[in-house]
Amino acid sequence: MYEKHLMICGATGCLSSGSHSVEEALIEELEKRGIRDKYRLVMGGCPGFCEVGPIIVVYPDEVFYCRLKPGNMAEIVEKHLIGGEIVEHLLYKGPDVDAPARFIDTIPFYAKQKFNVLRNSGVIDPESIDEYIMRGGYRALTRALQTEPAAVCEEVKKAGLRGRGGAGFSTGLKWELTLNASGSKKYVVCNADEGDPGAFMDRSILEGDPHAILEGMLICGRAIGASEGYVYCRAEYPLAIKRLKIAIRQAEEYGLLGENILGYGFNFKMNIKEGAGAFVCGEETALLASIEGRRGMPRPRPPFPAQSGLFGKPTTINNVETLANIPLIVREGGAKEFASVGTEGSKGTKVFALAGKIRNTGLCEVPMGITIREIIYDVGGGIKGGREFKAVQAGGPSGGCIPAEQLDLPIDYDSLNQAGAIMGSGGLVVMDDRTCMVDLARYFLSFTQKESCGKCTPCREGTKRMLEILNRITEGKGKPEDLDTLDSLAYSIKDSALCGLGQTCPNPVLSTIRYFRHEYEEHINDKFCRAGVCKPLFNYWIDPEKCTGCTVCARVCPVNAISGEKKKPHEIDLELCTNCGSCIEKCRFDSIFITPVRREADVSS
Amino acid sequence: MERFIDHCCEKCSHTRENPCKDFVRCCVEGPVCHEDPECAAKRKAIIDRVAINEQFVII
Repeated sequence: MYEKHLMICGATGCLSSGSHSVEEALIEELEKRGIRDKYRLVMGGCPGFCEVGPIIVVYPDEVFYCRLKPGNMAEIVEKHLIGGEIVEHLLYKGPDVDAPARFIDTIPFYAKQKFNVLRNSGVIDPESIDEYIMRGGYRALTRALQTEPAAVCEEVKKAGLRGRGGAGFSTGLKWELTLNASGSKKYVVCNADEGDPGAFMDRSILEGDPHAILEGMLICGRAIGASEGYVYCRAEYPLAIKRLKIAIRQAEEYGLLGENILGYGFNFKMNIKEGAGAFVCGEETALLASIEGRRGMPRPRPPFPAQSGLFGKPTTINNVETLANIPLIVREGGAKEFASVGTEGSKGTKVFALAGKIRNTGLCEVPMGITIREIIYDVGGGIKGGREFKAVQAGGPSGGCIPAEQLDLPIDYDSLNQAGAIMGSGGLVVMDDRTCMVDLARYFLSFTQKESCGKCTPCREGTKRMLEILNRITEGKGKPEDLDTLDSLAYSIKDSALCGLGQTCPNPVLSTIRYFRHEYEEHINDKFCRAGVCKPLFNYWIDPEKCTGCTVCARVCPVNAISGEKKKPHEIDLELCTNCGSCIEKCRFDSIFITPVRREADVSS
Repeated sequence: MERFIDHCCEKCSHTRENPCKDFVRCCVEGPVCHEDPECAAKRKAIIDRVAINEQFVII
């Protein structure tokens, strides 16, 4: 028996901020004192709060240590593990708590979350099948094997689970279509080709709870009559792939994968296909082509994969998060419990990756129907630096932006669609008042334009023309008719592109025009970028009334464009200034302003 | 018995070639096919080693 369990976040985010060094230092400290055997150390899954990593949670005390460095380990061992005293200065501190906070019960980031999909992440050793079984794992599979396939599909339908990868199609109905398709050979495919900038939900689920995906796929296989499955995961997720491989090996050894699973006569073989990272391979028909060894390009539908999918056989393709929900739904009483959370049309929870100008970047799982305000301010802790919330981009490059006026919009499939965004896979990129919405649209369109597979003309040529216009606008060469042209091109692409990615790629442009048309007009007519992003469209200007002559701006300026005597107002030489923004970031007196080119200041920094 | 796949005694026969339908339930609640406090204790020992708190095991 161990005295304590130390769950170290071993997910990619914390690994990149140094959790491996923290683990090494902890082991060294324990070994030095000869007490290594008393404590269990696990490089576990992601507890979600990436902003404050590396993280260690000490159980059973449930003490949450964050922002750790290898040098902190001696103190944790000495004071907490040996002395039984919590190391206060390593606890979570922030503007949202009055005193250093312990674990979930006192950290605001966790207060509104509900863990379904992330139920095991950071709680179990992701490389242990035994621990997954202890947490109720593979019980739903056993139940599915004792149940008629059609009844399993019906249960998933009744639960109201909708695909978590993008479009939100009914998962149970998708399964039923494949079950009813003719053919003796069928496939299950897990779409783990997570490609949206700023999104890492699927990666974390795979890294933290790989057996949940395997069990979800096995249940799907049983329900639709498939005997083989593929996980299509991008090769840039090496930890996820490593843990999946371990999980597959363990499940095979335990008789939970392979021939005659648990003696019920059900056979299932699992494969992993590593993708090369093309965004388009997240589109289901392109993904199937890639598995088959062909170039990842979409094809027209129908036939849908349920009728003719992988190698021409009926195939169900589900996203990682969708599959991670399945064991919860198919277990005894699970469908009803699942449906008790969420809204009428969107049941259950949703995992979101919070990125951008938000204070608490990381992963959260919240009930469907929660408002954007709750996610941004209660879970996310508000905007970095106390700045003003401007908008949030939901659904990645295929989604749209939602402005501050809609902060109370509930997060569900239908509300997001009505607002011009989509649920997508769950990336939420938060923007403050220093984000230029024209530049944002240009960025996302540049991404989809580069990732366009080129097969259909509307996407290949249309996105290129749209990008040319957006580039012109951000360079100060916009024309009054550009907005109408953008609008017309966007709808042409939406109506005629071959695949879902092409049809949705104009969304960021359309939604920014819808909610921030005045910014486009200001760029085009006044040649002014109010946010201070499009470099040819603004100048910096120091207000002599406000400048204290502290010299910080002059010292950070990389091109020596700022001059002035100490304790006297400074000036910017516009001929030298590159608009890099270093000065405005550092000014503590709000004395630097963004102004239209060659005009007096009128916009506050 | 170090792992659930190990046999608690000669009465357990679950392998991938000779699978037992009750295997998953047996891991945590077992033994299912026979009564033996020692066999139950072996399973409990595996659980106790890694259970981080009282809510850890889900049946």
